[in-house]
Amino acid sequence: MSTNTLFFILGIAVLVCPATLVVILGLPPLVGRPLSEKTINRYAYAATVIGLLASLFMLAMMLVVGTRHVPIELGNWVIIPQQHFHFHLKFIFDRLSIPYVILSFLLCGTVSAFTSHYLHREQGYGRFYVCYSFFLLGMIVSSLAGTIEVLFFGWELVGLSSALLVAYFQERPAPVINGLRVWSVYRIADAAFLMAAVAMHHLTGAGDFDRLVGTGSWPDGIAVMTGGQALSVGLLLLVAAAGKSALVPLSGWLPRAMEGPTPSSAIFYGALSVHLGAYLLLRVSPLLEVSVPLAVAVVIVGLMTSLMATLMARVQTDIKSALAFASLTQVGIIVVEIGLGFRYIALIHILGHACLRTLQLLRAPTLLHDYHTIENAIGGRSTEESGFWGRRLPRSLQNWSYRFASERGYLDGMLDVFVVRPFQRLFQWCDAAERCWTDFLSGGHSRESDEVQIHNEIVEELRL
Amino acid sequence: MNVSTLDATTASTNSRTSEESLASSLKDRLNILRSAVVEAAHLLPAQGPITAFVHHNTLHALDHLTFDEAVIKGGELFSCHPYLPEQRYREKLKHGRILPEDIEAVLSEDLGDRGDEFLGFLGTRHSLQLNMLAYPLRSGPVAELRWVVAETDALSKFREETTPANRDHLIETTRRWVMRDLRNGHPPAANNIRARELVDGILEHFDKPDIEHWDESTWEDFTLHLLWFVCRDGVGNAPLQKEIHPASSRHRDVLLKATGADSDRLVHEVLIRFCAAFMDQGFGSWPLPQAGGFFESFVALYGCPYGPPSLWMRGLRAELERIQKAGLTSLESIAESLELLGVGEKEEAEFLVQTVLALRGYAGMLWQLECRGDRVARPVPPDTLFEFLAVRLILDRLAVTHVAREGIGYQGDLRGVRAAVTEHAQSCNVPSVDQRSFLIFQLAQLLGWSPETLYQLHVDNWSIVLREVEEFSSVKRRSIYHRAYERRYRLQALDAMLVHAQRLVPQAKLTQFAGSDTPAFQFITCIDDREESFRRHLEEVAPQSETLSAAGFYAVAMYYRGAADAYFTPLCPVIIKPSHYVVEHVAYSQKQKEHLHRNRRRTIGTVTQRVHLGSRTFAGGWFAALFGSLASLPLVMRILYPRATSRFRSLIGGFVQAPSATELQLERTEDPPGQSNGHIGYSTKEMADIVARILQDIGLTHNFSPLVIFCGHGSSSLNNPHESAYNCGACAGARGGPNARAIAQMANDPRVRTLLEERNLRIPLETAFVGCYHDTCDDSVAFYDLDQLPLSHRELFDEVQGLLGEARRRNAHERCRRFRSVSLTATPDAALKHVESRAEDLSQARPEYNHATNALCIVGRREWNRGLFLDRRAFLTSYDPSQDDEERTILTRILQAAIPVCAGISLEYYFSTVDSEGYGCGNKLPHNITSLLGVMTGAASDLRPGLSAQMVEIHEPVRILFVIETTPEAMLQILNKNEGIDRLVRGEWVQLATIDPYTSQIQYFVRGKFEPYTQESGELPEVASSADWYRGWRDHLGFASISPSKRAVQTQ
Repeated sequence: MSTNTLFFILGIAVLVCPATLVVILGLPPLVGRPLSEKTINRYAYAATVIGLLASLFMLAMMLVVGTRHVPIELGNWVIIPQQHFHFHLKFIFDRLSIPYVILSFLLCGTVSAFTSHYLHREQGYGRFYVCYSFFLLGMIVSSLAGTIEVLFFGWELVGLSSALLVAYFQERPAPVINGLRVWSVYRIADAAFLMAAVAMHHLTGAGDFDRLVGTGSWPDGIAVMTGGQALSVGLLLLVAAAGKSALVPLSGWLPRAMEGPTPSSAIFYGALSVHLGAYLLLRVSPLLEVSVPLAVAVVIVGLMTSLMATLMARVQTDIKSALAFASLTQVGIIVVEIGLGFRYIALIHILGHACLRTLQLLRAPTLLHDYHTIENAIGGRSTEESGFWGRRLPRSLQNWSYRFASERGYLDGMLDVFVVRPFQRLFQWCDAAERCWTDFLSGGHSRESDEVQIHNEIVEELRL
Repeated sequence: MNVSTLDATTASTNSRTSEESLASSLKDRLNILRSAVVEAAHLLPAQGPITAFVHHNTLHALDHLTFDEAVIKGGELFSCHPYLPEQRYREKLKHGRILPEDIEAVLSEDLGDRGDEFLGFLGTRHSLQLNMLAYPLRSGPVAELRWVVAETDALSKFREETTPANRDHLIETTRRWVMRDLRNGHPPAANNIRARELVDGILEHFDKPDIEHWDESTWEDFTLHLLWFVCRDGVGNAPLQKEIHPASSRHRDVLLKATGADSDRLVHEVLIRFCAAFMDQGFGSWPLPQAGGFFESFVALYGCPYGPPSLWMRGLRAELERIQKAGLTSLESIAESLELLGVGEKEEAEFLVQTVLALRGYAGMLWQLECRGDRVARPVPPDTLFEFLAVRLILDRLAVTHVAREGIGYQGDLRGVRAAVTEHAQSCNVPSVDQRSFLIFQLAQLLGWSPETLYQLHVDNWSIVLREVEEFSSVKRRSIYHRAYERRYRLQALDAMLVHAQRLVPQAKLTQFAGSDTPAFQFITCIDDREESFRRHLEEVAPQSETLSAAGFYAVAMYYRGAADAYFTPLCPVIIKPSHYVVEHVAYSQKQKEHLHRNRRRTIGTVTQRVHLGSRTFAGGWFAALFGSLASLPLVMRILYPRATSRFRSLIGGFVQAPSATELQLERTEDPPGQSNGHIGYSTKEMADIVARILQDIGLTHNFSPLVIFCGHGSSSLNNPHESAYNCGACAGARGGPNARAIAQMANDPRVRTLLEERNLRIPLETAFVGCYHDTCDDSVAFYDLDQLPLSHRELFDEVQGLLGEARRRNAHERCRRFRSVSLTATPDAALKHVESRAEDLSQARPEYNHATNALCIVGRREWNRGLFLDRRAFLTSYDPSQDDEERTILTRILQAAIPVCAGISLEYYFSTVDSEGYGCGNKLPHNITSLLGVMTGAASDLRPGLSAQMVEIHEPVRILFVIETTPEAMLQILNKNEGIDRLVRGEWVQLATIDPYTSQIQYFVRGKFEPYTQESGELPEVASSADWYRGWRDHLGFASISPSKRAVQTQ
């Protein structure tokens, strides 16, 4: 067997594991035969372990053979010659994707083991694992993606599964509202992403990253674009990354995403999903070298995020929000590192931060136990009456900045007022105009839906 | 009271007297408000900080009512279920946990004479209600019912429960009626005109000309159609049910109903964050800049410029400035808000209750911190609840204005909002025609009321039918089911106790303590239901032993600080405020080593804290994250191999742990008891009092074994914010080991024994006391002060330790039958390993089941229930009536602790089970610890008091049954003298029975008096060991006698 065939087989194995898991966990409930908890666990375990072993083996092979760039080509699936479009299914194993894939398998596997106990006897057990398998597939596909279309595919799977898991407790309103909010912000990011993809096709004639960032293996690629081109594509990708990684000004959704069961919060918002935006920036980092303004923009966004998040983390009084903002602080720093060109540091930072934060989030319910232990060890609770900022700022500024942090940097409010509301107004105006027209044309009431009454009668079981 | 107009009036009138009278009327007004708010505050959850979880009656505020009244009232106040859903009871009926005879008995009792009243074709009231209980009656929102009628086979097939006889009867009478009176050709009689119309309408969908050849199923179809339309017609003509005045008067509720937009969502988002920050016990690294109280802090924070851009909050700053300028106090501001919201004085009290309860978790916690500031590190100033309410009403006003504007375009005065909105939404407090008809339609099928009978009913008779049927509403049915459910368990329990006692009589003297009069050792546990199985197994492996029990603080009420603890913890029931302090010291010889260890611990603690906090900051986080990959090792290890990891951790933790050789500073040399050195501990006399009290309580005043072991208990688990709820209830949610240790040390003291001897309580010289601690989660047992055990006792002790080891294994095995993740075929060893890993498992949402399934409390001598399998459902309190005086002093003091504590546990479990979301804290998986005080659900929600769904999932909600070994007269005397117990018993919050110490006659307390109980069944399974009974079974198990003699028979 030649090395290339072996590479190919291993690469396929890495991809097939999560894909098979999606099919195995997803299909039976669809035909009305939900799997038992034990079976689900066994498959999830098998998929992550085989995937992990395959990717470790891949890494070993690459080290032995000495290659740092292994593309797995699955051919062109759509070709439209007139439009110079082809949909190329291509995956790349390189110094960036291999660590990220290993991290994904490792953390997903651990979280799956955790979840198997934690969600025991839970009604949505199967549902959780279906979302989980989609997430795993999405992570693997987007980390290995060799073209922007493939990346988009994985990116969407991650977005979908995370929004669904935020709304996991669908019988209460708050998770559903927050899930929808997460989903809406992701839409903004996705729109930017799609535009970037179109722009890339327009500029380079293909969606392959090779064309965009040069053929050298990561991180040595040299972009073939001009500064202006890089800036336009790069800014769009920055918006996409900002949505996914909750960078300013799209940070408001991150603490709201802590609605799902603890393990899903850990894996998504502590570890993998929240770093995906940074990963995207890393993937296209050669662009930053071409365009200084782009690099500056990335640094500014990262720095702003990091500074605001660290301020907000300080005023949080609940453990999950505190960890969410702590995560965000580090994600911001990672983005700054990318902007400054420290790619390896950023990668190491991502890996370390993901592991650390997952552990912290999984342990979040032990907070009281831990505090008790610490207090016993140091002989009491630290009784600092005013924090670091409290001692240094004048009273009025202190109040203002405390409220600013407590209101989460006004980010949500600003989105609501300056983005959502204009749209809402516009649509309401259109609706009113349409109503005018249809009423006029039909010579009377034209909306049957106006007549529908709200059903809020009490069911007998609830009548006291 | 409009404050602004008030100012105007005072300015215009210069007369001093009117000013004074105004001032005094204002004062009166504020006093009324104050008492209204305090009244409302009593309804708030009474749970304090989660770190000291104390079980208590969830509806404590309503305990002046009877249980049945209170669950309804509570249901209205908190929008919660009063009982389990009907469906759940019906499942129990199916599985034989409720028998039809129970329902019949409960119903007869409930109806009394009214049951025999004859109601025409409905039969007697008793039979009607019995029939209504027999079948599930479906109901739902109108839209759903319409769908059922239109889209399912509801109008073409009889319900499957319909008996063939009823079905044939209905079809035949309808066929006859239609063929005779309602077919075309023959002119209908005057009273049949409407019927003719109905039939004509229906016939359009059938093959009319062929009517003579219709088959059975077509007639079935037709009959049901006719039945449905007749029902609708009849119900439609009957007068509407009296409209109940809507309970909700808050603007938010009215707006929510009309527009679907929730103003509380806006308000709570701000209020939750602010309350959490205000109460924070030290979590946030930047505490809220406090400026006086709640109100002032809020004004200071939200009064500064450049506020949040949210539309609804735009007016907040101006409003706060105006209030600040006017110098309104919080109560005045509340008065003003009520005025501005147009809340009249009549509805004011109700309005305030609902407003306070809207965010009841936080409001309750503020109230707790305000009233019981001694229980927390950072209390809040007095009057915080008023200030909270004032802030809340200001925010409410802004949010309501905003929602009304956005939702219905309302721009006017706030006072008119509710009136304006009511125009938008129709009232629907009464069941609609569809809902009412569907009920009758189902009953008609099940009970064979033919369409003709119903059609001929006069309007007045329809009203009667509807009244009778609707009077027996779902809530009423559930209450009957519930009582039937309790009755079944009660009868089983009482019968089992009687039969078991009868069985014991002939062998009592023979086999007591394996043939000896004095037990080889005595083992004293807490009354906790989880210790029941532990005791039972110990008695099985050691028939020569005797077990006893008392409330687990063993009368040692103290503030305790362990050698490695930072604070004093109260170790006694919450109702007692201890006055003594006890400190644990490292053994004198180990001081040096401990000093080193303490420093290491402090260093490690400080480092941990730095990492903990630092990893959430900018630079610290960066540094931590670079080395974060190292965190993956403990992460993976802890999750995949919890037990091994914990072993490893304790191995390397050895060099920092507090040395196990410690001693209690138990004796004080100076008066009075206090925290400083000479004052710590008890005087010898106090110790003698305590020891005498506890020994008298459990009846251990003679016949001492050489070894007497006191066993405290607690529970340790990871990733469990409710950890403290699993600890000893008699130690206020703390671990009871130190109490057992203290009582043993006191009883060993020769000076104490001398004092006791003077009181005729002689403890033999050769008797030694030992304290130990039982962890109910991992089933470990640890002993204290073994070095002080006399050499002569060590052989016996070794033997006892071996027996306890076996009892532990068996206990773990019995517990595991309830854990679905453990195979039913697991061996005792595997079971013990499993429970050990459960306690260390980060991912375990149910470290143990705590008090779930508790249902019984037996106060009396163990000899009568020794060997009775109680399935870990019973609190057992030792009490020997023969040693009590005429006044029943001992029993009184036992019950003063046992009844409130056990009732509190039982009722908290009851309410958290019947409405896990409303009364309990819901699913624990999304819980989020806040301010080190409590948990929220998800990213932000109200604080959630109560028990989680995972804790109560196997619980069977019944009121606890006390069976007390005494006479009814004595019991009544105790009730009369103790108001608290009396209220619980007479209000039917608990069930009560007495068992006569000499005749074993049982008397059950019902409606204010004791009635003799007649044994229902004499059957009680007999098995050789507990395992023979519970083996291979997950769910509920009945009672059984464990008689070792059985084994001998089997082996022969």
